Amino acid sequence: MKKSVSILLVLLALVTPLFATGATEAKDAGPITIWAWDPNFNISIMNEAISRYQANNPEATFEVVELAKADVEQKLHTNLASRTTQGLPDIVLIEDYNVQKYLTSYPGQFADLTSSFNYNDFVGYKADVMKLDGKYYGVPFDSGVSGLFYRTDLLEKAGFVPKDLENITWNRLADISKEYKAKTGEYFLANGKDDGGLFRIMLQSAGSWYFDNKGQPDLIGNAALKEAMQIYKRFVVEDLALPTNGWTEWVSAFNSGKVASVTTGVWIIGSIKAAEDQSGLWAVAPTPRLSTAASVNASNLGGSSWFVLQNGASKDKAIAFLKEVYGSDKDFYQTILVNNGAIGSYMPAFKGDAFAKKDAFFGNRAIFADLSKWASMVPKVNVGQYTYEADAAVMGVMEDFYTGKTSIDQTVEAAQKQLVNTIQ
Amino acid sequence: MAHEKQLNRTGWFFILPSSILLLFFIVYPIFYSFYLSFTSTRGIVSQFVGFKNYVRMFGDPMFFLALKNTFTLLLIQVPIMLVLSITFAAVLNNKKVRFRGFFRTAIFLPAVTSLIAYSILFKMLFSYDGLINNTLLSLSIIDSPLQWMTTPKLATFVLILAMIWRWTGYNMIFYLSAMQNISEDLYEAASIDGASKVRTFFTITIPLLKPIILFTTVMSTIGTLQLFDEPMNLSQGGTTSSMVGPDNVFLTLSVYIYNICFKYTPNFGYAATVSYAILLIIALLTFVQFTLSRDKEEVMRRRIEKETKKMVKEGLR
Amino acid sequence: MNIKPKIGSFLLYAFLSVSAFFSIFPFFWIIIGSTNSALDIQKGKLSFGDQLITNFTKLFGESDMGRALFNSAKIAILTVFLSLLVTSMAAYGFQMYKSKAREKTYSFFLLTMMIPFASLMIPLFQIIVVFRMLNSHLAIILVASISVFMIFFFRQSFVNYQTEILQAARVDGAGELRIFFTIFFPSMRSTYAAGAIYAFMTSWNAYLWPLIVLQSNDKRTATLLISSLSSSYTPDYGVIMSGIALATLPVIVVFFAFQKQFVQGMVGSVKQ
Repeated sequence: MKKSVSILLVLLALVTPLFATGATEAKDAGPITIWAWDPNFNISIMNEAISRYQANNPEATFEVVELAKADVEQKLHTNLASRTTQGLPDIVLIEDYNVQKYLTSYPGQFADLTSSFNYNDFVGYKADVMKLDGKYYGVPFDSGVSGLFYRTDLLEKAGFVPKDLENITWNRLADISKEYKAKTGEYFLANGKDDGGLFRIMLQSAGSWYFDNKGQPDLIGNAALKEAMQIYKRFVVEDLALPTNGWTEWVSAFNSGKVASVTTGVWIIGSIKAAEDQSGLWAVAPTPRLSTAASVNASNLGGSSWFVLQNGASKDKAIAFLKEVYGSDKDFYQTILVNNGAIGSYMPAFKGDAFAKKDAFFGNRAIFADLSKWASMVPKVNVGQYTYEADAAVMGVMEDFYTGKTSIDQTVEAAQKQLVNTIQ
Repeated sequence: MAHEKQLNRTGWFFILPSSILLLFFIVYPIFYSFYLSFTSTRGIVSQFVGFKNYVRMFGDPMFFLALKNTFTLLLIQVPIMLVLSITFAAVLNNKKVRFRGFFRTAIFLPAVTSLIAYSILFKMLFSYDGLINNTLLSLSIIDSPLQWMTTPKLATFVLILAMIWRWTGYNMIFYLSAMQNISEDLYEAASIDGASKVRTFFTITIPLLKPIILFTTVMSTIGTLQLFDEPMNLSQGGTTSSMVGPDNVFLTLSVYIYNICFKYTPNFGYAATVSYAILLIIALLTFVQFTLSRDKEEVMRRRIEKETKKMVKEGLR
Repeated sequence: MNIKPKIGSFLLYAFLSVSAFFSIFPFFWIIIGSTNSALDIQKGKLSFGDQLITNFTKLFGESDMGRALFNSAKIAILTVFLSLLVTSMAAYGFQMYKSKAREKTYSFFLLTMMIPFASLMIPLFQIIVVFRMLNSHLAIILVASISVFMIFFFRQSFVNYQTEILQAARVDGAGELRIFFTIFFPSMRSTYAAGAIYAFMTSWNAYLWPLIVLQSNDKRTATLLISSLSSSYTPDYGVIMSGIALATLPVIVVFFAFQKQFVQGMVGSVKQ
């Protein structure tokens, strides 16, 4: 009895690896696989695109894989770095700040789409992002044009009017936050003091960036950077912003009504609208500007684009799909504007009437007319491929600046030193 | 003779499956990683740079920050946890304590949770409006919520607390098991001679537990030096934020390597270099711990002999 | 005069009770949390709610939790079988057939425990691709079965084994393999049980390697699923709590079922 049990166990152990299934390879017969993040925005929009395409091409099948943004980026790295040709998606979403990084790190891995699309139809600075050695590699997707989104009802309660938020400076916003907090006991906005999002908005509003035109670290003597740092310090030291840790906490801050505003890219609208009970109570003002002369009340944060993998199993089908919807369907862009607040980069669509529509969630205001107007005002910057390194270098030294351990010049120098080392 | 040869072959045969797995999945990667450490790569574009990566590492502020963070955790968390583990083990080894089984199971239970699950839990507990702040507020211990996860020192505290919660029971089981192998006679002899419980603990129990203490210290050191899952998940994690934890306190060496590979422009060569730095540190520390224990062993042995002789002499008088 | 032992005893039990409370509280919190709505959890509610069914429905409806649980179980069980076999055989080989060369090999094995996973990550991934095991559970099972810690654990447990029985069997003409499986293995039940629990727990809770290897959502493990639920854009904490509860439950069940053998096995492994 014991003997046969032992033998059985051994056989089982030896045979079990056979049950573990290996990767299935789908040749062009398989579905078009898409990797993306954010179910309220990117994925929801992609699903809309898919249903439009399938109306005309019923035999097309798709598989949309939703992952956290960090996971999409990490998986893309591990797959491309290992030079595998199996298990790759056909279409992948890449944030604009990362595009050049992927293009230069994995040459030949992304499909050259220069001849498949007319890049003159796309907004200039978006198309530039995916250009390498004269060729274009992606399909520009959403603009990250920013706005100061706020709750009209909470603003009123504190004794302010919408005009108080129009075309102001960041310092003025900080002052308003102070008064708001004094009057209501709540925070006007939420911000992770380690999060470089607002920082980038501030920099771009002044046509400035972490790097100069030649791609060299440009932190020392950067007036916009200095002011951005000082404003961050105000938020922290004067306790003007609700401290949040990570995306989820930050979103739930305005979803739950704990804060009255959020200044970020237009892609936040999907998340704002997730709190259905707040419908009708929101509005949007122009992005605050810095005090330096070059700064305007318009900026951009993020924005992504779709890329096709050269070695994806259904590459050609993927390109055809993207072309038919993202590359020519003006009506598609109207729909996603209204439903998701997505301002695409396909300029022919801008003439559509959805842009003039009034949005009930935003108090029946034509917010997209405003947002697309600001989109045209956004200063162009060359974001290069080292944005996250710069982000880390700057944010990494901010804590000492907050506590007063280092002066502003010392802080900037430390950041520069780190950045130079990182991009070796 | 032939029989011995056959036995020898059989010996190798038993080790064969593990060896094959090891060869492919550990030995080959470690050598390839070594080669990688001498290249500077950008994705799949690589370039041989000799020792440049190592030079770069010595001038890299972020590397030293990661090193500092990792060592801070090591020097604070490991000793506290091991002392707690051994204390619990000593208490629960005492047959006079009631409900031992319950306490033992309760304290060990955290060890069955996944690192993800408990990181998420602690993050929720210590968030700005989480349970901990609410409890402290209602007990009037604090008058405004503490920013646990966004203040550098507090965040480190949360990480250390979480790790202690998770691993104390695990190590306690090792100590308990070892203690149960210590003969009762030794304790009886000591108590007959009037030695206090505390004295017995330090002169008999600890020396006899030395091998297991060394083992748990080495394993905990290696584990903490490689720490990844907890800091990643307690912080925002991934590439969505500029920093890993407030003021980068959660940037451990392994997280730094992960960032070099997946957050910044992927330089797998430099990442390999930094990982070899970790390897060397681990090797060094392990060697130091083993050497220290060997010397102590001699000292300990002589002490035990001296104490036993003294007790016997007093007993005979 | 007699107060002292009573105070000491009181302090002792207080210490133990507080420690036990801190250790178990999170588990209560998970169970309570899975019966409450996300809002209540955030408010800090500590009593049972009525959202259990809702949470579970959402959990299974919005994610493939059932599939993930199955994947975790499949990987864990297969890992237990393979790793027990491979590591105990290695430990047996090292302990029962001592030789200088093998001792050196053993030391080399132990040294590999010091290698941080970060060093192995990328080359390991490349090898998996070469073997066409990307996005497969096999890659996870194979890598998990290398556990040098388990080899160490088994070897320590074998140290005090009475080898006379094996000698006797040899004299009777039994083959070495047969001796291992029919005589040795059945006599070390508690050791194998402890090893099985360790292997099961480690496999079930694994994160980074599965994260890197598994590409498609249908291959995900429960641990990966929970991680993605909590980093999703609008996490529902009620759902997450019930997910954690469900994902932690199997390990707890396995542990409680084999608790006695586990302790016995641990005791046996640290005998000097």
